[in-house]
Amino acid sequence: MSATAASGRRHLWRRVLWSLVWPSRHERIQPTLSGVVLIGLSLGIGTAAYNSASNILFIALSLLLACLILSGVLSWLNLRRLAWQLEIQPPLRAGQETEVGLQLLNGKRYIPTYALWFEFAATPFNRGEPARPESTVTGRGIDVWATLAKVQEAAMGGSVHLRTRLDPGGEARLGWIFTPPRRGLLRIELLGVGSLFPFGFLRKLTGTDMRREVPVWPAPVEYRRFSGAGPRRPSGDLQQARAGNEGEMIALRRYESGDSHRLIHWKASARTGRLLVRQYSAQNSETCSIWLTTDAAVWGRPEQFELLMSFAATLAQDLFCAGRLQSAAIDDGPQSPMRRVADLESFLDRLAEAQPRPAPPEGRAAGSERGPRRSNLLTFEPEGARGIAAFINGNKTAAT
Amino acid sequence: METRRPRLSPDELQLLRWLLGGVVMLLAIATVFYLDIDSDLLAGIAAAGVLVALARPALPARVPVWGHRLAFPAIVLFFAGDLWLTGQLLPSIVRLDLLLLLYRGVSHRARRDDLQIVVLGLFLIVVAGVLTVSLLFAAQILVFTACALGLLLVVTIAASSEGGQAPKLAVRGVVPLWAAHADWGRLFRRLREISDWRIVLAGGGLFFGVIAVSGLLFLMIPRFQLENSLFLERFVTKKAMTGFNDSIKFGDITEITQDDGIAFDVDVSDPAQAPSRPYWRMIVLDQYHNGGFTLSPGMKSRDVFGREHTEANLRTGSDGTRGAPTWTFYLESGVSRYLPILGRFDVLRFREAQNFRYSFDLLLVALRDEPATMTAYRVEGMAPDSNQLSDPTFARRWRNRAVPGGLSLQLKLELSAADRAAVAGVTAGVAPAAGTDAGAFAQAASALLRSQHAYSLSPHIPAGLGDPLVRWMSSREPGHCELFAGALFLMARSAGFPARVVTGFKGGTWNAYSGNYTIRNSDAHAWVEIWDEQRGAWLRADPLEAAAGRNTSADKADALAGMTDRSWSARINSIRVFWYRRIVNFDQQSQVDTLRAIKNATDNSGKWLRSAIAGSAARIKGWFLGPWDGARIARMAGAAAAAAGVAWILVAGRWRIAALGRGRRRDPVRREAGRWLTRLDGPPALVTDLQRLRYGAAPTWPRPADVFRRARQAARSGRRRPSASRSTS
Repeated sequence: MSATAASGRRHLWRRVLWSLVWPSRHERIQPTLSGVVLIGLSLGIGTAAYNSASNILFIALSLLLACLILSGVLSWLNLRRLAWQLEIQPPLRAGQETEVGLQLLNGKRYIPTYALWFEFAATPFNRGEPARPESTVTGRGIDVWATLAKVQEAAMGGSVHLRTRLDPGGEARLGWIFTPPRRGLLRIELLGVGSLFPFGFLRKLTGTDMRREVPVWPAPVEYRRFSGAGPRRPSGDLQQARAGNEGEMIALRRYESGDSHRLIHWKASARTGRLLVRQYSAQNSETCSIWLTTDAAVWGRPEQFELLMSFAATLAQDLFCAGRLQSAAIDDGPQSPMRRVADLESFLDRLAEAQPRPAPPEGRAAGSERGPRRSNLLTFEPEGARGIAAFINGNKTAAT
Repeated sequence: METRRPRLSPDELQLLRWLLGGVVMLLAIATVFYLDIDSDLLAGIAAAGVLVALARPALPARVPVWGHRLAFPAIVLFFAGDLWLTGQLLPSIVRLDLLLLLYRGVSHRARRDDLQIVVLGLFLIVVAGVLTVSLLFAAQILVFTACALGLLLVVTIAASSEGGQAPKLAVRGVVPLWAAHADWGRLFRRLREISDWRIVLAGGGLFFGVIAVSGLLFLMIPRFQLENSLFLERFVTKKAMTGFNDSIKFGDITEITQDDGIAFDVDVSDPAQAPSRPYWRMIVLDQYHNGGFTLSPGMKSRDVFGREHTEANLRTGSDGTRGAPTWTFYLESGVSRYLPILGRFDVLRFREAQNFRYSFDLLLVALRDEPATMTAYRVEGMAPDSNQLSDPTFARRWRNRAVPGGLSLQLKLELSAADRAAVAGVTAGVAPAAGTDAGAFAQAASALLRSQHAYSLSPHIPAGLGDPLVRWMSSREPGHCELFAGALFLMARSAGFPARVVTGFKGGTWNAYSGNYTIRNSDAHAWVEIWDEQRGAWLRADPLEAAAGRNTSADKADALAGMTDRSWSARINSIRVFWYRRIVNFDQQSQVDTLRAIKNATDNSGKWLRSAIAGSAARIKGWFLGPWDGARIARMAGAAAAAAGVAWILVAGRWRIAALGRGRRRDPVRREAGRWLTRLDGPPALVTDLQRLRYGAAPTWPRPADVFRRARQAARSGRRRPSASRSTS
């Protein structure tokens, strides 16, 4: 036990020393104006003390250095046993204010915590990118700076201050309000906890590894509807059975969370040993399916592509609320049924990440010609340089 | 569970910031009053301005905008004019500092202004400390540090309470809200409300921690001497007391004796060798003219004093006295630029390089400038006390006195013929009996003077023609030491003995607490040195001292015991001596000594601990190896059972107390509510609230302060009601 403890202590010291040489991410201690003045005073008084061998000056120097040490100790005590947790309530929508909550707990028994601030950052990223910057050793300087500038430009940041004392054992909740500017994946991070406590000599920032990755749905847009061009009820043989909760049973499927218990087919479940639910044909046939194509050849202008995403998201949401959205698909993906809110959210999540698809190889058709042959299919096409129109069965239904 | 301790509002924090800033400024301004740089009036104005603004925080808003605009140029102009007119850099900078503090004190401050007053205040305190080396500095810088740290802490918390925004500079002419509603009484009540013993204890502990750490740093900071010394005191001139210049008039020494302040302290490495009535020589005066003694130009010449040295050590070339103790002098500023010395010495060491001149013949060490601070120096190889001072140079000159030229023979009497005759007349009664023995002559002349004149600090010199000293000699009027010394000087020269007057201090007290001499200005004295040809030395002749006979060690011990001071002032002075010994005089050697002492103490403690543990282990082992019989086993079992019982009671009792504390009784709010419930029969709503405070869960409590206020009101109305009913009946 003693060997382990000694080894632990040795490693602790090694870690502490190494952290001084190579501080961890966002770990910064910068002197403030007061700190610079204090350091300058210490240097001046120290020089005068050595020059004159005056013990009065040595006393003043000792006191200044002791104050600096006290400042460090109090700062450490202030942050000690302080716990925090990030609270984010999705969904996040582009252009709409959202609050990132931070739950604080002072775990100390006797000492309150004062004067902290928390630095947040929200950085867009693409799936598959590393959460932390890779080494820049191999990168060329100009590329590194350009990349950093780009990331900096896209990132949003802010800080929230703990305005009151956090008593021992006390809890507090802080909120950082920001507005995601565009759809996509957003990495929300608590970059660090800063403190000027106690005397404002040093600006101490302790880095944290706390981050959450959340999708930002496209911003809602306003659009025009065209009457008489909505989905129509198919007649005769063209009527297709689709999943619903009315009419005759058309199939059995696996139970999914959220399904009504009334739909469980107990006999079949007992036979197969897994929960199966009945699937009925829908009676309401005035529904439609969204098919969104993201071909870069069609949607060459980035602004128009963003508008497409917003338009598709808005339409999907409106149709779902009206109970008229049957399914949705993006490009060659399968049509995902839209039975529950979770289905819609999943579609919106995919919209959040969607990017223009590169042009297909020569000889391969693009656009609606490759689409599934089903009726009441809602498709999108550019309208002019900026606008977008939505079509159902070739009829213009809505436009931005 | 979150506690319900109250918090200061942002406005209250701002008011506290204003208060602490004012205190910091006042502390800094107070140092100027004992700096002796003719800035008392300005310091008084600054202190008054800060005090008024402190009492009425809304007043600074009335300073017109043009006042703020003109303030800085006016201050700069004042500084430039001050420097030009006085030509003294440091006093001008101190006055500039005062003006800046005054301006900051009478205007609403932003955060950087608070920092500025801390820096300005620190400058004043450090300058005062360096220039005075006073013990007061230690107290003052500690209080200043506490207040300045408190101010910076409040500034940080206030900025945080405003969302990290530092307090911006107030709009000129507009009273900030916190200042408009300033109520010091309310602030102090709120401070009392929020103060918690744990916070106070932690604050006190941290402050003492700072002192301890700074003390440790003071000991550990590596010391090395740069020989390019920066003397801050060069920028300040200070006048010495007139009595210890190389030119004095009758009454100068007596005037010094009216002052009871401390002139210097002396540490002796071997107190057993401390003399009982030391004569601390400072200046030799060989010329008398019309009531004034001076050091003659010939004696001031380079032939006697040699060139000026700039060194930290003075080696005289004397062999020194074998086994002589080391003497450390702490000479206060304003006493003299001549250093007090007992006799011939080997080495004199200053703490830092000094500009000085040394005369071996006169045994004088004269600094070039009047020391503005306490001057510490150590003298090694100095005879404890001797009533004779060998002077081979003068002996040679005296033997060759027939040869003209060379140094003065110190026989000259600058008196008129009538005065010379009068002196000769007085001397005639002594000289024939003494013959050529200088010692005998000095004793006889002193006895004669003592028989004719009483000692008095208020002498009377008869009116008339001629030299005043001769008139006094011829009378039977009382006189002080200068008159006695002057008379003996004239008599000796008249009788043909070379003589000179020496001024300095005589005696002093022995501080029983710090074990050192303390010499006060009231010990100032003048005496005479007469050349003794037979011994080839100058003999000390003090006409006010009876014939020396106390030479035995017993007499010496008695005399030392008689001068021992055990008063309260000695106690306080011992702290000052400690300050000088351990702090002001701390140098590289002291650092090494201290570290060695710490190492020895640690080694000794370790050895003691090891031996104690080994001893305890041996005792325990011996106890176990002792014979075990039934009675012993029974005794042991009984003791173990008793210990277990006591432990169980303690643990169980503690657990119960802790459980009670967790629940009810430790909480002051619950306790107070319980007290009100037992003595109050108030309205049901109040009782319900009190019961909720007493027994309910803390989150459901009503505001305790309100409930207790209502309870107090109910109790008062309950007391009034019976008396009212009695009066109506």
